[in-house]
Amino acid sequence: MMTAEQYEESLGKLNLVVYMFGERVDDVVGNPIIRPSMKAVAKTYELAHRPEYEDIMTAVSHISGNKINRFTHIHQGTGDLLKKSKMGRLLGRETGCCFQRCVGMDALNALSIVTFDIDTKYSTGYTKRFLKYLAYVQENDLTCDGAMTDPKGDRGLPPHKQPDPDHFLHIVEERKDGIVVRGAKAHQTGAVNSHEVIVMPTLSMRKEDEDYAISFALPSDAEGIMYIMGRQSCDTRKLEGGNLDQGNLMFGGHEALVVFDDVFVPWERVFMYKEYDFAGQLVEDFASYHRQSYACKVGVGDVLIGAAQTAAEYNGVARASHIKDKIIEMNHLNETLFCGCIACASEGRKEPSGTYCVNTLLANVHKQNVTRFPYEMARLAQDIAGGLMVTLPSEKDFKSEETGKWVEKYFKANPDVSTENRMRILRLIENITLGTAAVGYLTESMHGAGSPQAQRIMISRRANLPEKQKAAKKLCGIEE
Amino acid sequence: MLRVGVKYCGGCNPEYDRVALVEQIRERLEGKASFVLPESEGVDVILTVHGCRTACADLSGFRGIETWAVTGIEEGEEFVREIIEKEVHIDAKNEK
Repeated sequence: MMTAEQYEESLGKLNLVVYMFGERVDDVVGNPIIRPSMKAVAKTYELAHRPEYEDIMTAVSHISGNKINRFTHIHQGTGDLLKKSKMGRLLGRETGCCFQRCVGMDALNALSIVTFDIDTKYSTGYTKRFLKYLAYVQENDLTCDGAMTDPKGDRGLPPHKQPDPDHFLHIVEERKDGIVVRGAKAHQTGAVNSHEVIVMPTLSMRKEDEDYAISFALPSDAEGIMYIMGRQSCDTRKLEGGNLDQGNLMFGGHEALVVFDDVFVPWERVFMYKEYDFAGQLVEDFASYHRQSYACKVGVGDVLIGAAQTAAEYNGVARASHIKDKIIEMNHLNETLFCGCIACASEGRKEPSGTYCVNTLLANVHKQNVTRFPYEMARLAQDIAGGLMVTLPSEKDFKSEETGKWVEKYFKANPDVSTENRMRILRLIENITLGTAAVGYLTESMHGAGSPQAQRIMISRRANLPEKQKAAKKLCGIEE
Repeated sequence: MLRVGVKYCGGCNPEYDRVALVEQIRERLEGKASFVLPESEGVDVILTVHGCRTACADLSGFRGIETWAVTGIEEGEEFVREIIEKEVHIDAKNEK
């Protein structure tokens, strides 16, 4: 397994084509806007080497029998699925943000199921290819970006009818040694912190869309791949120097648009090729795993609850009954989220490939809650914090000879607490609820791993209404 | 000297500082027990340090070895007492 230091060093060796603010980023690892997100991924490497976390952070490979980082593991039982949920909470709490590595783990697990199922139906050789690739990922302890979401163009049209055919990633050429693909994947969390990019289709497809039914993996710096960084609210605070106004001083997340401009993929890296009838299954299995992965929001929720309680104490209102009740409500919401990700894991099932998958209905119920509860928790945290979290002067004003004494004087509350510490906790709440980390804690909770309606469709498909009706009719004596 | 292998749970939501507790136990038992990685050779007892009463640490690799589970600070104290009493008992036996 790589250490955090080795991970950072390995990223430095990649030749990624990254653009931000209209310019090529020369030093991706050292860039002050990107670097906190790299450090969040590095935490997944660091904790795997610490005895007090290794029970969750590591696993035994079913291929090699070696100890590996859990983020490269294929779930071999419900115990593994449970540990995955717990790992999400642990890392969310340790970083206070999105640590980006779950998406690759979810892609690997979904592909372990679907490659086997395609082989069973069509006698293809995907399982062998995939297991070879998986062994490479595990042996080298790689971070993989799981790239599913196409830009999608006109949402009312299937891929083959789009005015711009590149709005869904597709095959443009078939060669003896591989294929050439073109298109893009949007909202790619952690893309420039990844060694590999694993591409999957974004929706169910029909025969006419077979050129879009494609899954493959490539090194993240393969020729023709370009990354255009997404902006985050308050992102340029990271360029201001100082260590207060960022809120979270150590960690962050990032997203990017990943462009595939006629990129060559060798056959040994292709895991689905025009088997359009399996595109939907790959989407569903990946989405179920990834909806479970929102266990991380419970960990970030732990941080937000801790920050809200601290702000209440610093403001001198912690004993007020309505504040206590709001903290109780935040805990209730957060632990309800934990219930969902634990439930879908413990009710997991074994697939024909041997991989364990989460309970699809419960994973979707969990993610549906995630689209709502963090917003309510953010509202409560802002309520408790007070308006100062958005009207507070800057760190530079606090440290200025002319203004510092006034900021110090007038923003002092609890006499036992320094004004600076009060400012720090308010900045952290700002960071999580409307700053850079709100991308992960709020909007990603809404749309990541599928928007709310996607979960409602799955809940409607998986909730067995006839059996519920039967139970009701039996109790009241209806015989039909 | 007693060789104690320390095995932690994964620490997803610990109710106390597990590492600090082990450090306290280590200090209290200085000269009486040495604390090593759980998979080390010649371990006499595995001290499993769980962050909560769910006690989910994976002990499948330690079958046949005596284990002592700790899920909170008080139980850490019980472990210290047990080791000290055990040593007193062994010393008394040796004197006879």
